[in-house]
Amino acid sequence: MKLFSNTFTNLERGLDYASINQKVISQNIANVDTPNYKAKEVEFKTVLDHSINQLEAKRTDSRHFTFQSSDTHPEVKTKTDYQYNHNGNGVDLDKEMSEMAENQIYFNALSDRINGKFNSLKSVIRGGK
Amino acid sequence: MAIHSINSINPGLLSPSLSKKQITPSDATENFSQILSKTIDEVNRAQIQSDRMTEKLVRGENVDLHQVMIASQKASITLQTTMEVRNKVVEAYQEIMRMPM
Amino acid sequence: MSIFTSMNTTSSALTAQRLRMDVISSNMANVDSTRATVNENGEWEPYRRKSVVMEPKEAGFSTFLNTAINRRGNHSIGQGVKVSKIQEDENTPFKMVYDPEHPDANADGYVQLPNVDPLREMVDLISATRSYEANVTVFNANKSMLMKSLEIGK
Repeated sequence: MKLFSNTFTNLERGLDYASINQKVISQNIANVDTPNYKAKEVEFKTVLDHSINQLEAKRTDSRHFTFQSSDTHPEVKTKTDYQYNHNGNGVDLDKEMSEMAENQIYFNALSDRINGKFNSLKSVIRGGK
Repeated sequence: MAIHSINSINPGLLSPSLSKKQITPSDATENFSQILSKTIDEVNRAQIQSDRMTEKLVRGENVDLHQVMIASQKASITLQTTMEVRNKVVEAYQEIMRMPM
Repeated sequence: MSIFTSMNTTSSALTAQRLRMDVISSNMANVDSTRATVNENGEWEPYRRKSVVMEPKEAGFSTFLNTAINRRGNHSIGQGVKVSKIQEDENTPFKMVYDPEHPDANADGYVQLPNVDPLREMVDLISATRSYEANVTVFNANKSMLMKSLEIGK
């Protein structure tokens, strides 16, 4: 008996994607004047296909080491279709700002949806009271 | 031509689909207790997961805020569900006990 | 990498842009300074235009170690930007102005003035301001995202 349907998993993955995208866009905009910096981006499909940080070592003793999958993000790639200006910088500020606005709306939408689903589950459990 | 007496049919020779397995009351109790313990395990796991994420948040480790919130919501909902089921079961038991013999 | 990584990134960018603005204002203030440093011959040299060199602040050693161990993912996101050094502009020459009355005039009556071009500094200042404002917008967006995720389940 699954209490939480697949929609929840998908919503969570979408939220994870939005969170990583926000971090990458922040990094890009922070480096808008750095010479020879190429913009990074997040691959949507890779994030949605498998969730992040799910690799946990099976330990037989608590003193064994765990896998540290802390800061590696396989879905963060360098953009390949950039133009660069005279100092080698490859960040298009307007594009990054519009992507950030998009990402905001996406995150807000998913957050509202998952909120709605939680609330309906809770009202069902309470028996409509 | 010899007339053989009728032998009783060995139940084991019958095809399995014809023989109905009777579920004894002890079996039913066992199944139910298994389901119950599995559910309680699930609740426990959800609570532990939510606690772990909260601890990571407090320590400033690698976790997203929405992940923490979602984990805590899931734990809370699972717990609430189990509580409601328990209430209903206790109510049903009390109803049965109230039946005049 | 906590929930505040993005905010730290943005604040590092704000710091870097502010430092760049400070350097620009130092340049503009010293546009006429003829006696900035003493060189080897014991003579006064005018002020040389300064500029900042920015580079992305990658995460520390632990990230590279983890990348090597896990052998997946060739990028970490990075932690923002930092000013690696403030360098003097050695390439553009000093301005030579004919002014025999000036106390620092040489034998021919020419004075060496700093190689600061006010127009170029103003353009730099506009660019720094634009980057600063963009980063402020990013910071606000980050903050609103975090506040929104706090409301999940309320």
